[in-house]
Amino acid sequence: MSNVNVNIKMFQVGELGDCFLLKFKEDNKESAVLIDCGSFRNSDKSIKRLQTIAEFIKGDLNEKALDVVVGTHQHNDHFSGYVHAADIFEQTGIDNVWLSWLDDPKDVDAGKIAAGQRDLTEKLQAISSRLTKNDNDNHSLAAEKINDMLGFYNAEDADKPLEGKKTKVPVIPKMGLDNLKKIGKNVNYLSPGNVLDLPGLSANSVKVYVLGPPRGGKLLFDINPSKDETYDIKLTAISNLADGYLAALTNYSGNEVGSNERNFPFDKKFEKNLTKPEFLNSAYFLQDSWRKIDDEWLDQAGRLSLYLDSYTNNSSLVMAFELVESGKVLLFVGDAQTGNWLSWENIQWDKDKVKPGFSLDYLLNNTVLYKVGHHCSHNATLKKYLDDKITHPDLVAMIPVDETDPNITKKKGWKMPAVNLYKKLKEKTFNRVLRMEKGFDADCDPNGAAKQSWAKLPFKPVVDKKNFYIEYEVHG
Amino acid sequence: MAAKLAYRYLRGYTLDPGFSTQLDTMKFNQTTYRILWEDLNAPENLGPAGEYFEVIDIDPPSNCYYEPINLDSREVLSQNGLTPSEGNPQFHQQFVYTIAMKTLEYFEQSLGRKLIWNSRVTHESGKIQEHYVKRIRLYPHAFRDANAYYSTEKKSILFGYFQAAQQIQGTNFPNGAVFACLSPDIISHEVTHALLDSIHPRFLENTNPDVPAFHEAFADIIALLQRFTINELVINQFAQSDGSFDKFTYLGELATQLGSALSHGRGALRSAIGGRDENGNWKRSKADPTLYQTKTEAHDRGSVLVSTFFDALIKVYNYKTQDLIRIATNGSGVLPQGVLQLDLATRLAQEVCAIAQHLMRIAIRALDYCPPLDITFGEYLRALVTADIDFAPADDNNYRIALIDAFRSWGIFPDHVNTFSEESLQWCTPDNFAQADKKALVKVANFLRGRVRTLYNLSNREAIYHESKKIQAALHDFLLGKVQTDDNNDCKDEEQVLGKKELESLLPKLGLSSTSVDYYDSGNQDENRKLMRQKNPGEPMPIEIHKVRPAYRSGREGMILEQVVVTITQSTTILIETGRVDEDTKEPIMDEMKFRGGCTLIFNMADEFKVNYLVTKNIASQDRFLKQLRYQQGGDDAALSFSDSMYDDDNGFGTINFANLHFH
Repeated sequence: MSNVNVNIKMFQVGELGDCFLLKFKEDNKESAVLIDCGSFRNSDKSIKRLQTIAEFIKGDLNEKALDVVVGTHQHNDHFSGYVHAADIFEQTGIDNVWLSWLDDPKDVDAGKIAAGQRDLTEKLQAISSRLTKNDNDNHSLAAEKINDMLGFYNAEDADKPLEGKKTKVPVIPKMGLDNLKKIGKNVNYLSPGNVLDLPGLSANSVKVYVLGPPRGGKLLFDINPSKDETYDIKLTAISNLADGYLAALTNYSGNEVGSNERNFPFDKKFEKNLTKPEFLNSAYFLQDSWRKIDDEWLDQAGRLSLYLDSYTNNSSLVMAFELVESGKVLLFVGDAQTGNWLSWENIQWDKDKVKPGFSLDYLLNNTVLYKVGHHCSHNATLKKYLDDKITHPDLVAMIPVDETDPNITKKKGWKMPAVNLYKKLKEKTFNRVLRMEKGFDADCDPNGAAKQSWAKLPFKPVVDKKNFYIEYEVHG
Repeated sequence: MAAKLAYRYLRGYTLDPGFSTQLDTMKFNQTTYRILWEDLNAPENLGPAGEYFEVIDIDPPSNCYYEPINLDSREVLSQNGLTPSEGNPQFHQQFVYTIAMKTLEYFEQSLGRKLIWNSRVTHESGKIQEHYVKRIRLYPHAFRDANAYYSTEKKSILFGYFQAAQQIQGTNFPNGAVFACLSPDIISHEVTHALLDSIHPRFLENTNPDVPAFHEAFADIIALLQRFTINELVINQFAQSDGSFDKFTYLGELATQLGSALSHGRGALRSAIGGRDENGNWKRSKADPTLYQTKTEAHDRGSVLVSTFFDALIKVYNYKTQDLIRIATNGSGVLPQGVLQLDLATRLAQEVCAIAQHLMRIAIRALDYCPPLDITFGEYLRALVTADIDFAPADDNNYRIALIDAFRSWGIFPDHVNTFSEESLQWCTPDNFAQADKKALVKVANFLRGRVRTLYNLSNREAIYHESKKIQAALHDFLLGKVQTDDNNDCKDEEQVLGKKELESLLPKLGLSSTSVDYYDSGNQDENRKLMRQKNPGEPMPIEIHKVRPAYRSGREGMILEQVVVTITQSTTILIETGRVDEDTKEPIMDEMKFRGGCTLIFNMADEFKVNYLVTKNIASQDRFLKQLRYQQGGDDAALSFSDSMYDDDNGFGTINFANLHFH
């Protein structure tokens, strides 16, 4: 057993997206791990950038195959590179593919969940396309919210439809998954509690602990951890709501109304048409237009798409890499949201593979590199852990965010990075926060305001604009 | 002359419609509600439209509306309303109206004054305008989701409906329609939100974790206590549960049908008295003083307050009924197995109904004794105690002691109180003011006395609204030391105007400030602390008078109290950097944090207009400022935005949105 250093490259995918290359070095052994490769859109520009990055990785490995490729969860911004740069990855070669148990075709629970999720995604797409057809402003606003979110699955609104493939949900991440399985020599489906040795290095020099996605389902979906609901049923309930919404839209389509809708919620004899003179002369119609609720129900669409988004984010594969000799830990959480984080405490670790007294706190207390979840949105980092547990004095945070992404810059766009979380991260890392699109803020500049803080660590981060990456090293 | 119409009788559910199709519950799931009579003649309204509420049954997702019910028709009047039915939208209209009116009635009775809805605020060409709102609108079928909410902008309550899950869960009907507007709990919960918003508009500002929790808890407390006032329901439940609260009853369960249809068949959305463990066995919840420290989500935290309240109810109940139980058991106090004897159940139910009504009155009245902003549970306890001392000085049945005891066992303690006794918990009086300040307060009282008189005689709510606004504006000027030019009062006298010195001394005692105040980003000890940027630095902070309302009410011991409630606030806007830049103007985007202070003053009209109590939240408190700043910047792990949305950020600078803060 000897000392291990890790070189981490966070690639600039040019928009929202995750792509991290980790190179573990132990004496004369080396292990290269790629965690996610994707960006939000599938435009020519997006594709070209991912291909450039993949080429760089290939060159950087110098004829060696990737030891491990990880796909944390099936969102476009984490998987699209496995489609657009599939050829390059095939040339590079992949020894091991690590996916979450949710991607395991033999896992019965996973199959059910995937089916439920696909079903819901299809419904949302149907809702969105119906809403878009309608030229009402409020309708298109609701559609926009759904589309923003559907973008994670590979967009309906992709700039270029894939040849020969009429979009069937969710096509790109699914294709990426298939590619990985095809290219990779071994495919492992990981569950919380698994502890692995990192391939390519001596046994017991780097250990990988799997923290999420939770099994048994208690917290996978739940955005509100106090309610102990099983996610299967919740997913069904949400799906029912989507059905209701979809059925309601048929009331506006002019087409024949579905049989369910005919007597829902009341027998048709009770319904009065909104074109009746009694209605058109009513106070509701004529007075106080500020009190009308004609479009209020459309807001549900945004909420539905949010459910689905939280659901998939919580299905992220979460891993902690421990450099055994030095005890230092690198924490990669994908896009895990609260429910996923909260499940870690209850993981049953394999007693033979961990030291006596091992606990989650050990991993969190020793974390020196944190890959910030979900592009630093407000709900994808458990703040109480950041306050009490992820407290190592050497902590560095890497945020794969791009504030020029149209989904962030537009009016009422996404709040990434979330102001308070971002501030807290700076505080906890003593201003050692790295950002994908620009390297760092002025107050985190290793050659400027944060010089002293960075000087405490053996490696000063490098921004390579030519090859599109931010580089940092953890020395064991 | 025709007889005066006093009441309208309308049938409705006592629990949820789900209970009507279960044999063991069907017989008590209906009752005839008695509500105050009012004229509802307004055919152009498409539904019942009274003094306070209007029901409009438009169903936008179904692209239709439903024929409005005419509550004055012979068919309805002669039958005590339509028969409760899930399948008839007209009954739904009748039911939301009934429960809304019933809830309002409790509030007006308790507060001793007419309720005026929170005004509608518009921003027209940079000017803030307030408009009178006559009625809250009730939409029984507004959208398709398992939710219902009060919209502060639309001054409306929107109820949802949805199709129940396909699985058989609890008592639900798979694939059947479930309506939020048929649950009396949900209706009174939402109406209570609207009522609370009208009494304390600033409680929408999420300034500490107790504020949203209080809104939720208070709405639940009222919804649950109302259920305890339905005699036949209580009798039935008591007969089955041997008269104690240690066994399961439906009494403490909220929104059972909705809960069953929604998630996993474990029943109610929330429960105040107990819950089911993993094996499905019902257990009464034990007081846990750690929960208040650890629960930050609004509903979880709120349920601590609800449980506290029910602990108090049970304590009073046990105290008041031990003699009855002894009589019924020949002194042993141990009841035999099986169903309770009906006579005893009836007597016990009477007791619990009376207690619930008293507690509801105490709970509502205490609102007038709350600070006008930034409420905490501890302050609410002080308000409860103070209000109750006023209304029942002797405390014959130990309501106060029960409440104090319950708050203690649930770990809720107010700040700035030396001992946990009645005397310490009672709000301060101005007794220890300096002579000069006492004199200044007399001037304020004299100023109000003449003006409030005009409010006595008004019965029209809109007239009361406008007259109150006038008095508020006058009091506002008075507190700035301006001489009044109004003809019909005695304030021309220079003697009666507050001088600069007097104001400088008095205002800080009222939690206000006559000058600008500096705020820092950390406490006194920190040498590196930075001055916070204010939007209008150096300027005196504007004063607002929220309320000047006389109230007449009778206490538990027959006392009559005549009081005037005045709330005064002051605010400043702090600018906080977000680190973001506006794409168009390239200007940095700033968050605006409102920091407020002020007070509630209670004048006693029957006693020389003396100030009975003074409840302050100091605007100059650096400590309170820091707490609010840290909280709103997400310092605690509280879910400030109430949503998991990527479009939201965790800052609590906005107001509480009830659509996001789900009912469940």
